[in-house]
Amino acid sequence: MSLDRDVVGELETIVGADHVRTGRGDLEPYARDATPLFRGVPDAVVSPRTAEEVAAVLRLATRTGIPVIPRGAGSNLSAGTLADRGGIVLVLTRMDRILEISPDELLARVEAGVTTAALGEAAAAKGLLYAPDPGSRTVSTVGGNVATCAGGLRGLKYGVTRNYVLGTTAVLPTGEIIRTGGRLWKDVAGYDLTRLLTGSEGTLGVLTEITVALLPMPATTNTGVAYFPTLADAGRAVTAVIGDGIVPATLEFLDAKCIGAVEEYANLGLRLDAGALLLFGDDGAADAVERNLTRIGELCTAHRAMEVTLAADVARSDALLAARRCSLPALSRLGTLTILEDATVPRPRLAEMVGRIDEIAERYDVPIATFGHAGDGNLHPTCVVDRQDDAAIERAHKAFGDVFAAAIGMDGTITGEHGVGAAKLPYLEARLGADQMALLRRIKAAFDPAGILNPGKLGS
Amino acid sequence: MTTDRVTGRGIFDPELLDRCISCGFCLPACPTYAQTLDEGSSPRGRINLMRALETGELDDDDSRLREEASFCLGCRACEPVCPAGVQYGQLLETWRDHQWSGRRRPPLAQLLMLVASRTPLLRAIGVVRRHARTPSVPAAPTTLMLGCFERGLYPGVSRSARALLPDIAVPADQGCCGALHAHNGESERGVELARRLGEQLPGVIVTTAGGCAAHLTTVLGRDRVHELSEHLVKTGASPVGRLSVGGRRARVALQDSCHLRNGMGVFAEPRALISAVADLVAVPGEASCCGAAGTYSLLRPRDSRRILDPKLDAIEAADLDYVVAVNPGCLRQLETGLRRRSSKVRAVHLADLLAAAAGGTPLPRGRRWTLPRIRVPARRAGAARITGGPTA
Ligand SMILES: Cc1cc2nc3c(=O)[nH]c(=O)nc-3n(C[C@H](O)[C@H](O)[C@H](O)COP(=O)(O)OP(=O)(O)OC[C@H]3O[C@@H](n4cnc5c(N)ncnc54)[C@H](O)[C@@H]3O)c2cc1C
Ligand code: SF4
Ligand code: SF4
Repeated sequence: MSLDRDVVGELETIVGADHVRTGRGDLEPYARDATPLFRGVPDAVVSPRTAEEVAAVLRLATRTGIPVIPRGAGSNLSAGTLADRGGIVLVLTRMDRILEISPDELLARVEAGVTTAALGEAAAAKGLLYAPDPGSRTVSTVGGNVATCAGGLRGLKYGVTRNYVLGTTAVLPTGEIIRTGGRLWKDVAGYDLTRLLTGSEGTLGVLTEITVALLPMPATTNTGVAYFPTLADAGRAVTAVIGDGIVPATLEFLDAKCIGAVEEYANLGLRLDAGALLLFGDDGAADAVERNLTRIGELCTAHRAMEVTLAADVARSDALLAARRCSLPALSRLGTLTILEDATVPRPRLAEMVGRIDEIAERYDVPIATFGHAGDGNLHPTCVVDRQDDAAIERAHKAFGDVFAAAIGMDGTITGEHGVGAAKLPYLEARLGADQMALLRRIKAAFDPAGILNPGKLGS
Repeated sequence: MTTDRVTGRGIFDPELLDRCISCGFCLPACPTYAQTLDEGSSPRGRINLMRALETGELDDDDSRLREEASFCLGCRACEPVCPAGVQYGQLLETWRDHQWSGRRRPPLAQLLMLVASRTPLLRAIGVVRRHARTPSVPAAPTTLMLGCFERGLYPGVSRSARALLPDIAVPADQGCCGALHAHNGESERGVELARRLGEQLPGVIVTTAGGCAAHLTTVLGRDRVHELSEHLVKTGASPVGRLSVGGRRARVALQDSCHLRNGMGVFAEPRALISAVADLVAVPGEASCCGAAGTYSLLRPRDSRRILDPKLDAIEAADLDYVVAVNPGCLRQLETGLRRRSSKVRAVHLADLLAAAAGGTPLPRGRRWTLPRIRVPARRAGAARITGGPTA
């Protein structure tokens, strides 16, 4: 399918001919996002510069029934920007202005295409912190972060993107430009549409501007690392830490397979006889950080830690964090196809869940290593196989089906932060039930009567 | 489930293409993506184009495919930031081999490659231009590579290098390393020339060109090739002297060589050497491509200048005396750009800077023979003066 020439002409009038691309080779780069195995070639790629341009494109789409797929950096892991029905990929990266950083009000106002890292740096330049820090922050856009409600390494203490969105400007599929929320920390006038749009994965409206809350920059950060004989021991240590009244900024874990892969890749001198590695970190006033880390170290030792190291300085702290940062690169080198999932369970059941994952991996004979956010029960079981091996890919998919079911069985969820997209839509009903699925569809229809905005994802 | 496999025509090594996990981490590092904000001019987008070429989704004549094969600078800034270890440089060489085969190769690139593969011609040019020479070739453990175009354009660089490394041998019979060919769609010839040079130059090959170093390394191995700054630091040679301008320490910045930095991981070494003899000034963007990019500045002058201009702004804003290059292409690019602006900042090669500091040779000034006669910059007050003695 390709677009009518009149439609292309209209698009060119709206955003300028330079910002409408329809050549075969222009479209191909937008056929994928960061989700492996999904590919769908759009009919046009359109890069608007203003909310008004977005509105005009959406009006045109609603009128003609052409699908529109909003896209930030395309770093999502759920096939959330998949153009499997053709249509227009609406790329928001040209809307990249930081409009305001206000130290007085502790907020920032940015266009949707600003990268998370750019927002973070602009805030830091004024002594402020934008807390959500997804691993993809150098490339992901704030619009994409809000649309997926992105998490990060500091979720336990600081929460996720949802906790920082104060207001949005959004364009509805029918072309209205609405402003939800605003600069207020308290505002209960009406349904909380800001929250509804957060995590709506580009299916209810196109975000063009976002107001986020900032925090004062913590004075110091520090890190420590502990090795445990088993992941269950690490899990008990985490429970003890929280039970002790400490909510550290970072609590990340690697299982034994991950430790092995990271060590092989980066030679960091990790202990290969350990069953789990726990990275903990905190930020704040220097003495409080010091006190918390020392106490966490003690609690780890009390829970069978084989070894505990506290970073002596920033450089050392960075070196410790490297183990966590290397996880994905290290694992991805084990094969040519990396499937990264993010099933999530209540924190106390983390070790049990990793046990189940190992069992499932063995049953289906696929290698799955697990790392993730121990503080919020968010696991990243990662399966690495050979892209040319159809049978293994098939087994991996079956294994992940079981992983999701196991997570749901433990009061957990199929995705903690990556989103549903096209990739996990088939599993969504198992998590939500038929009534909520129907409600989701009614909400979707209220926003998008023509069903043009990101079809085949949430609300479909 | 959609299957999305990249097998097909056998143009690319499927291992190399499959390695990319499409995470997009390379987007912020890519200078051409920064220009267009269009995925197609990003490393990830280009890899997706290569995949489509491989599977036959796109054919060889697709205009965007062809455009991107040439718009890419080949700077490899996408490699160090890639979590999956994608060898983009390798993929690009294969892509250009295919895309530029036969008549589709830019004629200018063709001509340059032809000249560079004629060793006797290079030799003659070198002699006329008085590159560094040693009376005979002792069984030295290290030899100095003269480069093909560097020999003609900047013969002084090899003389400076020799002043810094008095024991080095400089065999007169040496050809081109083949980097030029590898980057312009003739990778097999590129390997062949590198091998031949490896035979002509025994022992460790020291080169004053970052781009050549990176290419030679891929063929001859990391141990046989040292870029000059790397060699000086590895052998513990500490720079002598001090470079001052108007009675104060000279303010000097480095422009990284892309392949040296991204391909070989050498970037601390030249900085350490500069700070030993002058004030090293950090300039925003110093690590990103200057737009010279081998033949790029000749093949795509307009794009090349678009990359260079913001860099020149930054250089001028930093109140520098010198900006140092570690690759002849970058040196030419900076020099031309700065002259065009009548800038007071001078571009010099690291070898010349260090040799000047050590008191061996004066820093080169004035015009170069190959340049069209454009306006000579106003002479800056107080040329580089040599102050002997130990470094600060
Ligand atoms: C290596 C790696 C590490 C990652 N680490 C994390 C992590 O730690 N935590 C985490 O949560 N995620 C992580 N992610 C996933 C991903 O980066 C996040 O989901 C991110 O928020 C996506 O932002 P984006 O700009 O790339 O959005 P895209 O991928 O372009 O889009 C994501 C979704 O948002 C929609 N969308 C985008 N922009 C808009 C807009 N302006 N208006 C409306 N809808 C829009 C799209 O339609 C799509 O459904 C990681 C991904 C990778 C590859
Ligand atoms: S950073 Fe590497 S793996 Fe990620 S998209 Fe770029 S080339 Fe592919
Ligand atoms: S080599 Fe340079 S220009 Fe080419 S894709 Fe990589 S970063 Fe971009």
